[in-house]
Amino acid sequence: MVACILTGCGPSYHWSKSHPLYKQVPYSTLSITGTSNAFILTRSKWFAKKLEVAPESAQVQLTSYSRQVFLDEMRRAYPALQEIPDTAVSKFPEESQKLDDKVFIKGHFPEQGVSVKDTQGNIPQYILIVHEFIIGTDINREVFYDYDLIRQESAEKKTSKNLSAILSYTLWDNESQRPLFSAVDEIQRPIVKLTMEDLRAVAAEAAKKIRINLYEGVQK
Amino acid sequence: MRRYTLAIIGVLMLAVTGFAGNIYFNKRPTLWQNPDILIWTPESESPVDPKELCLSLKRNNPSIGEPKCRLFGEWERDSIAMHYAVWLKKNIDPKLNEEYLHIRHPALMNKVQLLEDNIVLYLADNGNTISVAIFDETSTNPKVAGSVTKTNDKIALGDEIASTFFAGKTKRRLSKEERQKMLEEPDDFYKEVPNFRAWAGISIGYSQAHIPLTPDDWTESHTKSQVRNYRITKDSVSLWNFIEDDDPLLSAYVGGIWYGFIGLELIYRFAKHSVKTDPRDSVYEELDHWDFYQHEIGLNAMFARSYNIKKWLDIDLFAFLGFQYSFFVEDIALKDEVDKPSKAYNVRIKFEEAYKGGLIGGGAQFVFFNHYGVGIRTGIASRGRDMYVDPTPDAAAAPTIIGGSTIDWFISLGLEYHWSL
Repeated sequence: MVACILTGCGPSYHWSKSHPLYKQVPYSTLSITGTSNAFILTRSKWFAKKLEVAPESAQVQLTSYSRQVFLDEMRRAYPALQEIPDTAVSKFPEESQKLDDKVFIKGHFPEQGVSVKDTQGNIPQYILIVHEFIIGTDINREVFYDYDLIRQESAEKKTSKNLSAILSYTLWDNESQRPLFSAVDEIQRPIVKLTMEDLRAVAAEAAKKIRINLYEGVQK
Repeated sequence: MRRYTLAIIGVLMLAVTGFAGNIYFNKRPTLWQNPDILIWTPESESPVDPKELCLSLKRNNPSIGEPKCRLFGEWERDSIAMHYAVWLKKNIDPKLNEEYLHIRHPALMNKVQLLEDNIVLYLADNGNTISVAIFDETSTNPKVAGSVTKTNDKIALGDEIASTFFAGKTKRRLSKEERQKMLEEPDDFYKEVPNFRAWAGISIGYSQAHIPLTPDDWTESHTKSQVRNYRITKDSVSLWNFIEDDDPLLSAYVGGIWYGFIGLELIYRFAKHSVKTDPRDSVYEELDHWDFYQHEIGLNAMFARSYNIKKWLDIDLFAFLGFQYSFFVEDIALKDEVDKPSKAYNVRIKFEEAYKGGLIGGGAQFVFFNHYGVGIRTGIASRGRDMYVDPTPDAAAAPTIIGGSTIDWFISLGLEYHWSL
């Protein structure tokens, strides 16, 4: 309390949460879902102008590019990665999950007692559910996920320093139907001159961060 | 021999508790008298026999009255409830608290809220053990989770469940009308802090020059000093060079606090201090007594924080800062047989008419049943000379004021009466 007064009580966040029974990182048994709908590009007109893409197709074109890079990068880390259609999980109602006193993520989670099946009818053991993957400029995860800040409008800005991505995901134990690990990650990449390479690097970085976080989240 | 007996009893007790099943967490659900216990299991066959379980409950906890036990068919036929039951079987674990076992499906959450005062006893066969959980209407998390050792002896199993999960006090079940009334009753703990609360009190305490936790030599020179020939001391900066410092302190006060946060208090303090005459000085042989009555009037500003501990008890912690005026009234008398006082008597020390000083400290008020309070305060009081007098050119030649800086520590315990407006 005293320390809090002295240091001015700055907000501190926990951006991830592990289940007490998260004991082992899945490697060859991981599947992924949610990627068809998770990718969102903010300020798409700005991106269209910078990257010389037709403004009306920028959203579709750039998100599908990021998705492809992200999935390729995930497959490099997990060669046996299976893709499950979004509908397998998105048919369940949206729920919020608490990571921290202030941080809540929203997403679709399979019902308790119901195992999700892939297109062949097999039951994958672990599923990485990607809830949101927001690409923009100079965006922070606090503004998107802190309950207190969520209603703040950010000022319209002319210059953009960073290309940012914010992603939330959950590692789902499909056998016991429990969330083993959930996190919100933020990636910032300084913009010199925006190219497709920057977009590629951010998506690749996101995949790398997931891999590291899944590893570090294991409960000893 | 006695030691062995104790050891054997200890081992037996351990064995008994080891046998009595494990509780992973227990949020103490209400155990009703004459309860309806609904046995809910994902298994095709219930691990316990409802009738035997009821008999076990009665044997283990006579205060339970006449329990009724039956299988919870409504939930066993419900696919959402069954999904959760299967899920719980996999997830019930000593490492997981109730939050991890939360019911997520809204339909089942609604069903839990409609349980009224029935107790749902969840039983799942996990090989060597039977997992047990208890639900009631108040929470969509299980209230209790644990396990018991699996046996085919249904009577023993019922006994183990009863002794592990259904021991403890029971409460009378409420009638429909009583339940309705309970729902509409205001919450005892819901209470607004009154806009203004006033009190009056008297207290008894003690004061001394030495402030606890400070070095003795800060005050020793003052407290050890004595008065010779009616006026001579080593130093006159503190009144404690002349008069005794450790004396009872009486006070009366009235105060008020706004919004439970900021307050004012008017205080009157009284103490009697004897002059520390040097017994070796023969000039005092004529003297019967020589005391000073200390009257003080002060005003404190208070900053408080209220804690509503129980329905009948509020605790206010506060800090105060204030100022006071001190008056020392001399009470001196010669012995009856002395006709004429000595010359030294006539030119004895005189204190200032009034001293100004400050008060700083803190305390707590314990208010019972909104009116009757006990207050404890401690702090430091000072008395000094008037700081508002401009120095004059001949200040150096002027006699020093006796008691220019007199500080003491006090503690007091008071009885108070409180009003809220």
